[in-house]
Amino acid sequence: MKLVIDESRCKGCNLCVLVCPYGIFQEGTELNSRGIVAPVLDRPERCTNCRLQALYGRMLCGICHMICPDQAIAWIDEKPLEPHKVEVEF
Amino acid sequence: MIAPDWFREDRLPHIYCTGCGNGTVINCTLGAVEEMGWKREETVFVSGIGCSSRAPGYILTDSLHTTHGRALAFATGVKMARPDLNVVVFTGDGDLAAIGGNHFIHACRRNVDMTVVCMNNHIYGMTGGQGSPTTPPGAISTTTPYGASEPAFDLAELAVAAGANYVARWTSYHVKELTKAVAAGMQTPGLAFIEVRTQCPTNYGRHNKLRRVSDMIEHLRSHAMLVEKRDRLVQEGKPVPDDIFTVGELVRRNRPAMGVKS
Repeated sequence: MKLVIDESRCKGCNLCVLVCPYGIFQEGTELNSRGIVAPVLDRPERCTNCRLQALYGRMLCGICHMICPDQAIAWIDEKPLEPHKVEVEF
Repeated sequence: MIAPDWFREDRLPHIYCTGCGNGTVINCTLGAVEEMGWKREETVFVSGIGCSSRAPGYILTDSLHTTHGRALAFATGVKMARPDLNVVVFTGDGDLAAIGGNHFIHACRRNVDMTVVCMNNHIYGMTGGQGSPTTPPGAISTTTPYGASEPAFDLAELAVAAGANYVARWTSYHVKELTKAVAAGMQTPGLAFIEVRTQCPTNYGRHNKLRRVSDMIEHLRSHAMLVEKRDRLVQEGKPVPDDIFTVGELVRRNRPAMGVKS
């Protein structure tokens, strides 16, 4: 699975930056085409939901997804599915 | 996106300001609705007037957008006419506590079988930040420029006293707990009242040195105290800070309810 921010919906409140336990969301610096500074993703493959959702068959963590007031955070299927090495820091 | 088949995706992005907590509350409520497995044809969302009451407009079910403060009166009517429907009411603090205060206590007294989600942002957000009955003492709003001098309404305690069957309070920071509380409220027959303290950085935070969304969330988080912890402090005779509000499940009981699906 792949973590994505829908920039057509994000209003740049940075609540995801506040809640992500891995610090994947970082405050952005550049205005997008809608004039909004959307957060940027820092190595999103570290996200527990990206790595293990398929294995467990349910939503794991998902706090950013839940707290996002603009429904802008989603996980999409990656194709083709390629296993890759991930380094997780706590 | 939580519950994609319940959102009207063509209406998104919604009108709420940057960092408004109402979107989070919609997420949590729809998460609970999905957990309950309700069908779209059997669910009605009712709302009054205000920021919070725009919420049913983004949900793909039949909904009622009613007059100011009268959401609970309309919802009672819906439930009496069609007890087989699941009724969820979205309402705000100005809607529920100020204009609809009487409807609120009487809906609790009658214990009508519905779920009321109150998004309490401590202010009249939509009309420009006037003080509401839930503005905390000392908070600055456009109608209380020297700080609110009146004590605030504690809506959850009011619902407990008036007789609701399930009462809980959480903040928009506590998303998982809030989803569980809404789901528990939906399972309980009788009126379930869930008060959600949400952030309003635009109209409340701006005047109260909490302009950034993270400051406002941090303020909510640090002033929330679990009701069990408050009870323990009281039992041990330790002082309870004045500026906190309790969060958690305040009551769950089995008073006779009205309009329960038989």
